[in-house]
Amino acid sequence: MGSVAVAAGCSAKSEDNLFTMVQATEDMVVGQESWYASTCRECPAGCGVLAKNREGRIIKLEGNGLHPVNRGSLCIRGQAALQGLYNPDRLWMPQLKTEKGWQEIPFDKAEALIRQKAGAAVNRGSGRISMVTETVGRTQLDLFATVLQTFKSPPPVVFEPLAYESLKFAHQQLFGDPVLPVLHMDRADVLLGFGADFLETWLSPVEYARKFKSMHQLNDGRKGVFIQVSPFQSLTGANADRWIGCRPGTEAAVIMGLVRLVIDDANGRQVNRSLRDALAGVTEAYTPEAVARLSGVSVEDQAVVGRQLLAAKRPLVLGTGAGSDGGHAVAAEVAALFLNLALDPELSLFDFNNRHRVEIADRRSTVLDAFDAMDEKSVELVLINNVNPVFSIPGGNRIAKILSDKKRFVVAFSNFMDETAALADLIVPVQLALETWDAYESNSTTMATLQPTMGKITQAPALGDLLLNLLPPEKRPAADYQALVTRSVLAGQGSQTAAAWLKTIQKGGRFSDDSTTGGSPKANLRAAATLKTCLTALPEPEVGDVLMAPPSIRFFDGRGANRPWLAEIPDTLTQIAWQTPALVHPDRMAAGGIKDGDRVVLETHAGEIEVPVYAYAGVFPGTVVVPAGLGHTTFGRWARGQGVNPLSVLDPSVNADAGAPSFATPLISMAITGTRMSLATTSGSRVSLGRKIALSMAIERIGHKDGHKEPGLTMDTFPLTPPTPEGYDPERDLYPPHDHDGYRWAMIVDMDRCIGCTACVAACYAENNLGIVGEERIIEGREMAWLQIQRYQDPADMARVTFLPMMCQHCDNAPCEAVCPVYAPHHSKEGLNNQIYNRCIGTRFCAQNCPYKVRRFNWFDWQWPKPLQMQLNPNVTVRSKGVMEKCSFCIQRIKAAHNTAKNEKRAIRDGEVVPACAQTCPTGALTFGSLMDPASRVSQLIKDPRAYQVMGYLNTKPAVIYLKKVTQIV
Amino acid sequence: MEQTLTYRKIDDTVLDTLTPPQRSYWALVALLFAGVLMGAGCWIYQILVGIGVGGQNNPVHWGTYLINFVFWVGIAHSGTLISAILHLFRAGWRNPIARAAETMTVFAVCTAGLFPFIHLGRVWLVFYMLPIPNQRTLWPNFQSPLMFDVVAISTYLTVSSLFWYTGMLPDLAIIRDRAVGVRRKIFTVLALGWTGEFEIWRHYTRGYLFFAALATPLVISVHSVVSWDFALSVVPGWHTTIFAPYFVAGAIHSGLAMVVTLMIPLRLIFKYEAIITDRVLESVAKTIVFTGLIVAFAYATEIFMAWYSRNPVEMETFRWRALGDYALEYWIMVTCNTIIPLFLLFKKVRTNIRVLFVISLLVNVGMWYERFVIIIGSVAHDFLPHAWGLYSPSLIEFGIMIGSFCLFFFLFVLFVKHMPSVSMTEMKETLHEGASHAG
Repeated sequence: MGSVAVAAGCSAKSEDNLFTMVQATEDMVVGQESWYASTCRECPAGCGVLAKNREGRIIKLEGNGLHPVNRGSLCIRGQAALQGLYNPDRLWMPQLKTEKGWQEIPFDKAEALIRQKAGAAVNRGSGRISMVTETVGRTQLDLFATVLQTFKSPPPVVFEPLAYESLKFAHQQLFGDPVLPVLHMDRADVLLGFGADFLETWLSPVEYARKFKSMHQLNDGRKGVFIQVSPFQSLTGANADRWIGCRPGTEAAVIMGLVRLVIDDANGRQVNRSLRDALAGVTEAYTPEAVARLSGVSVEDQAVVGRQLLAAKRPLVLGTGAGSDGGHAVAAEVAALFLNLALDPELSLFDFNNRHRVEIADRRSTVLDAFDAMDEKSVELVLINNVNPVFSIPGGNRIAKILSDKKRFVVAFSNFMDETAALADLIVPVQLALETWDAYESNSTTMATLQPTMGKITQAPALGDLLLNLLPPEKRPAADYQALVTRSVLAGQGSQTAAAWLKTIQKGGRFSDDSTTGGSPKANLRAAATLKTCLTALPEPEVGDVLMAPPSIRFFDGRGANRPWLAEIPDTLTQIAWQTPALVHPDRMAAGGIKDGDRVVLETHAGEIEVPVYAYAGVFPGTVVVPAGLGHTTFGRWARGQGVNPLSVLDPSVNADAGAPSFATPLISMAITGTRMSLATTSGSRVSLGRKIALSMAIERIGHKDGHKEPGLTMDTFPLTPPTPEGYDPERDLYPPHDHDGYRWAMIVDMDRCIGCTACVAACYAENNLGIVGEERIIEGREMAWLQIQRYQDPADMARVTFLPMMCQHCDNAPCEAVCPVYAPHHSKEGLNNQIYNRCIGTRFCAQNCPYKVRRFNWFDWQWPKPLQMQLNPNVTVRSKGVMEKCSFCIQRIKAAHNTAKNEKRAIRDGEVVPACAQTCPTGALTFGSLMDPASRVSQLIKDPRAYQVMGYLNTKPAVIYLKKVTQIV
Repeated sequence: MEQTLTYRKIDDTVLDTLTPPQRSYWALVALLFAGVLMGAGCWIYQILVGIGVGGQNNPVHWGTYLINFVFWVGIAHSGTLISAILHLFRAGWRNPIARAAETMTVFAVCTAGLFPFIHLGRVWLVFYMLPIPNQRTLWPNFQSPLMFDVVAISTYLTVSSLFWYTGMLPDLAIIRDRAVGVRRKIFTVLALGWTGEFEIWRHYTRGYLFFAALATPLVISVHSVVSWDFALSVVPGWHTTIFAPYFVAGAIHSGLAMVVTLMIPLRLIFKYEAIITDRVLESVAKTIVFTGLIVAFAYATEIFMAWYSRNPVEMETFRWRALGDYALEYWIMVTCNTIIPLFLLFKKVRTNIRVLFVISLLVNVGMWYERFVIIIGSVAHDFLPHAWGLYSPSLIEFGIMIGSFCLFFFLFVLFVKHMPSVSMTEMKETLHEGASHAG
């Protein structure tokens, strides 16, 4: 037996089963989940996650409530991290490139090969090894440096496609250090952005989504003001009280106009005299008229922004977005920082003691230099850690050429055959963030920890261990990487005991509650000279068209493209899934006779791409926006050949000052091909035709009675009819109310809080085992989303949008229930509209009769290619073909709460049941609870005068109550 | 012409149609059967792969299967109308076509009855809809209009089949009396020992009359029930009280057109000119004008009510039907069902057999599109604009649709060559009653 065990243990094959009942680990109780705290590494923000482990595998990620960055929420990409872990295209074994193609080799052989190549390189001289890594924690970065130093090579280059070079440059000019301070956006009362997409990709999206809603929520009849001036109204811009389009690259001019206004304002705020003197010469030229001429922002609009800024107590100005033009962005960022200084000399909303980790990323110019240096310095061994520069750097083919040079051996530590890994000589998969021990400083005050959240499904080593093994034993800083992590986690801590370590790991890190600002460093006003140079160096604004390729909330720089959830969940603004559209201004399309779905060829100096057009009012006319992220040539089954990569036609040059890349480039021509394609859109109409669907109300009306209307039976006059006996009136209702037993579950959706980030949708896909249908089926209208973020545009101004989270309304008087011949939709004693899958025979009458069209039919058996099926939630049935399904209010979570409450002989407490969507919402837009409990939050919120029911006049008595969006005209 | 008919001539004309068929007949039967097999193959494929092989989607969950269901149920209407209601009204002109119309009814109900099965996502569990006692004490939901359908359609099929068979009994006896060999044995069984004694005739005529009285409400009820599939929902364009009479009128409209479509070739092939006279066809044509006007009135009422309600959702639904993505289908419906039948007001038109035939085909097309406009044109564009979507049938759906037409004609063609396609008994009654009743 022993020999068998040894033989089995030495096998390089992964185990078929994650556990056996006989050998279940101590803390595993079948049927019960355990939670492991870790850190999300899908982007450099470093949010804390709790991984839900059931029977040895993680089935769901939720935000770690203790983590100061995300406080319990996760974004759409964070939710989809699981689909990286269980991706069927994941590489399970090291791949060695041979003449006959890729050859699988064992891990020990791969390790030996790297050691041998490293040894050979170092024997020939110093600087022969080069490493390019993603943003990592200090522990890992130090280890990289140590290893490289041992091999007489320079420290690694940290490549991050979105590295905020311009912003860092601005800080360096003014404060001496290229830093990225955390902003106290929540304390601001007026927020002015020039494209910073802080709800999508900018620095730390979950954190800023929360902080933004904190300043922008309705509070005592008032809310903070957010204005965005940018060429492209991103999701962030769509959440602004006012979006003002400006010509691409002229943000700096608009900011300078505002600086001029602020420092000249005689009766206004105190502006530091030295600052005024420093800037006086620079701002002169930026009269409102000049700015208007340059940027296309009218004098009135400038005045509006100026008035808001001057009236503000705690204004905050944000610069350009991650996807901005390099050259213009530098001037804009410096100018924005000066504007902040002029408005608030203390910069009290900047926390210079607490800075985002991504600031360690090297600027783009450094990264490009590093690749160039590989040729010049005859680098023999290149180590690439989980980055894909060939895809995400414009002009990636230059890097591709350097990497594919036969003279050097390229090792890619990657779990996927992406564009860069495909060029490597050896691909070594290493443990992903959810499988490994590590530490990551999300920001300066947060030491977040990572731990293996489940048993191994691959034999891959941790990258740290692999690198440690490269060192001679006596030079290793620790026996293994876990020990190294332990040491660095405990380093800053008083208690060095194992208990302290365990506590830190359990919490998911060491979080400092200290959020006091240490004051800002003294501003170096000589930076005004830099500003002047930057401004004068500004090229004349492009009179022609401009192509912008911003990163997207779903795919980030493109790393999310092979996660089916991210591709399947449509972009909120366009409602298009799976495809890359070109967003063009409707006026422009009308002039050119272009319609949605027409394919056009966009030509720039670097090449051309062919994309379908989609009308989008939120772009400055003349700007064409093609979101980046798709268009992979390899990477996996869902990414390959899907969409278009606009980065490939951007100008590869970088800005000389900041080393920043450009995500915008002049568009030479937009030629109609004459062909069309069906857009994979989930939206049937852009507008709501004045129906009682996505309602908003002006802030001035808050607190005023809407009392002019007598309750009646029409769409506009129908009263709120709660799904409780109070909602019934013999005048209207033929049937008596339902008797509810203890609870009447309901949800309140605060549309004023919904930012349209679709994190909830991804959480729903993960929690409820929703099928992925793909592009073609979405075109056919067969998406399976139980929860959609619907987008309605304002016909008066198509750039204004309202987001409406739409899920099963769990009506008390449900149209679906009556029409099913076999009672498959069933009204539960707690008011839920249950769908009994076993009972369903697929007449689809329920879906036809549902006014909200939230029922989803399984047209086929959906596929979960192995090992993606390991993610499936064992508490939720996987539906087979021919069955209707829909939102269940996460009934499995309600059931679990029932069990706990019953064991503890009590009723379920308010807030104890949190559906997956509500759990992950960064802005707290969704509230769930029982209406039978008069003290519950939902019972309180339903009394809000903003409360209404979508299409309530049908007398369906929905249990999802919406609170109107609050608009303010600024 | 009718005056020249004798009892013997009637028997001869009808029985001549039962002579052993030619090769071309069997070729036609084989072709139709191949079509049936093709349709069955499509259905089997759909069961194996999933309903998704059709074109339905969200929001249009109901497609051609339901359209064809309603279409065939509608066709099934006129048989009973002609044989039962017109029998009660003593309208003599119905006698020559009653048998063929009833046959059409039975086969059309059979064809229609398949579609709810084809439509189901999990047809293998269809027995959940039957009120079978089971240990889980699960019972069908009799609130659901689909359960009404189960009851209504099965009742209609039972009654119309029995009515059809009862009416055939004396004719079967005539064939038995003239047949030899195996055929005689078969018809002996089928004729149920008919002797033609006075007592039997007395019971038979009474029974047939009662049957007609019993079947009459079914004509109204079946299609009313089918209309409730839609009217009992909340969907704009469906949720309206006009639906029952509207559907019944539409059903009769399409059924009469189908009768004309079937009678004209039948008359030509079987040389029935002496029996199915121009006058008979003309009478049907006149009725088509009448039903066409009712249908036109229903269309106008729907639009008026949408406008009168001031309900923006209703108004948008009807605006979109006429001017939106399915405007072509809508105007095909309006033209074929209401405008083209008006040409039958002219005697020259309705007595021109070829034109009459073409018009009857167009009315059939129009009525198919009426169901398309009702079913697709409502849910594709209902309450939530975000959910709006379009639908177009897939090849599999077309396969099944063609299969259903093949099935109907397959059965019909088999019948007319093996059974008396005109009721000899009732023709003789017509002679007996004389010309005064025959018009």
